Amino acid sequence: MRLIELEGLKLPKKRSEEFVKVNFEDLFSYDFKEVKTYKFDIMGLEIIKDDKNYENSLFDISKKLNSDQVILTINSNIPEPICLIHKIKDSETFFTNSLKIEVKKNVKASVIEVFTNTSSNSAYSVNRVIHVEENANFEYAKVQDINDKNYFLFNVDINQEQNSKCKLTNFEFGTGVIINNFVNILEKENCDYELNGLVKSFDSSNTANVIKTVHNEKSSISNINYKHTLKDFSRTVFKAKSIVNKDALFSKAFQNSNTILLSNDAAIYAQPHLEILIDELEASHGATTGTLDKEQLLYLQSRGISKDLSYEILLKAFEQKIYDNIDDNLIKEFLQTYERDNYV
Amino acid sequence: MLEIKDLKVNINDKEILKGINLDIKPGEVHALMGTNGAGKSTLVKTLSAHYDCIVTGGSVTYKKKDLLEMEVAERANDGVFMSFQNPVEVPGVNNSYFLKTAINEKRAYEGLEEMDAMAFLKLIKEQTSKYDLDKKLLQRDLNEGFSGGEKKRNELIQLLLLNPDLIMLDEIDSGLDVDAIKTVANVINSMLDGKKSVLMITHYDRLLELIKPDFVHILNDGKIVRTGDYSLALELDKKGYEGIGIKDETN
Repeated sequence: MRLIELEGLKLPKKRSEEFVKVNFEDLFSYDFKEVKTYKFDIMGLEIIKDDKNYENSLFDISKKLNSDQVILTINSNIPEPICLIHKIKDSETFFTNSLKIEVKKNVKASVIEVFTNTSSNSAYSVNRVIHVEENANFEYAKVQDINDKNYFLFNVDINQEQNSKCKLTNFEFGTGVIINNFVNILEKENCDYELNGLVKSFDSSNTANVIKTVHNEKSSISNINYKHTLKDFSRTVFKAKSIVNKDALFSKAFQNSNTILLSNDAAIYAQPHLEILIDELEASHGATTGTLDKEQLLYLQSRGISKDLSYEILLKAFEQKIYDNIDDNLIKEFLQTYERDNYV
Repeated sequence: MLEIKDLKVNINDKEILKGINLDIKPGEVHALMGTNGAGKSTLVKTLSAHYDCIVTGGSVTYKKKDLLEMEVAERANDGVFMSFQNPVEVPGVNNSYFLKTAINEKRAYEGLEEMDAMAFLKLIKEQTSKYDLDKKLLQRDLNEGFSGGEKKRNELIQLLLLNPDLIMLDEIDSGLDVDAIKTVANVINSMLDGKKSVLMITHYDRLLELIKPDFVHILNDGKIVRTGDYSLALELDKKGYEGIGIKDETN
């Protein structure tokens, strides 16, 4: 099965502005031997047909191959995060998986998802719809640890009701070809949306984060904050577009990307982008790219700390802010003790 | 302990040190004075392997080893300590964690067992209370948001706990009040056990009154032009550089 040969499936064009610099070609043209739907371990979840029209065509890939969508409804506060572990084992296979998480009114909940693999030349196309109802507070963390010679396409569509809070944190640890696609159209007032990401790339990993946020109603906040550390020949794209429309008075829209390049061959294409149609708002966007501060490195070494450990300490300090942004202590603890070997 | 022979150093292709000769024996206290731009800081930075300093000639022998062949961390673990004139801020790195890591790197170098958290806390408490140093500095990130005085006190805490053999102080007295200078002197004097050596850069007599140097060197245009005992510092304080016949070549 080749994605480019699927009838009726419109895929982003190579030169599409929305996905500029994103490496789709190999994924779209690769001939997978099988197509499967990855099943959840949880029994008794409702399954519906996904008939939503999404903001971009990347969501249509999973939908085209299997339109079943599993519904996870969270009706009451949960003290511990729901943890979903995905392990891709079969090689030469295109997997799909679609889940809608519904967080009901006034509920506080959290979910962790971990994606790992032992396969080769496989792809995992994941659709997530997150619906956070009025006054609900939802925190979500994703660990992507998909290895080389595998593809991972992660589409997230977020819908927030009035006074809701939704915080997503993404940890990108794998070395495969990774495309993350986040869409949040803020149609209600007083929504708080935060998207954090830590991209730790090495070898020849290729990671893209394409983020679209639209403010259509007043007094909502969107805060997008990514940190990248790139080694070896890794390539990363950070493309964030936030639109603040005319009715979205008193919005706050922030975008930030910080990158540390640890090799001459690593590269990032960072494009934070704001489109603002009103004056009454707070907004900022920025991107920095550099190396570790050599004065700081020298200082640590001058107290006897080896060069390698000094690098490690300074990188950890750089990355720590993403961990610090996590509200749920159990998610924080999970991520700080995460080791790939425990999940493959 | 330290023997410097005809040391020549460039920074940004400009020759700053033009043939330094200096011999520091165990237990000796040396003071290095000189006009701005004479090369004082370049000398101690070179001894600490600062990346700006390119050695173009000469040799430095430390404890019978070629110091210039040693990595930055190796020099530190072998007992070379430089107190920075303006220590860099390192946000996100907890000061206490940093110090414990540094101590354990040195212990590993010496073949000793790692110091555990309890022993570390005990050591901190003992050393800081002796000299009225605020151990709350250790709860903060390394030098982040520290005042000038706090940065210097933090350098002193590191000095005490790392217990080096060659102590180099680059204007540790600059920006400090009288009481803080006394604390610096108390710490240094208490560490002088007849084996440790000190090389301190200062512009002022006040620190030298409290830590009496065995030798005072005056550096001018990249060379040591005069060496004497403490009385040379007193004479300099009274007459100034021109008064003792030293023309500022850097201007």
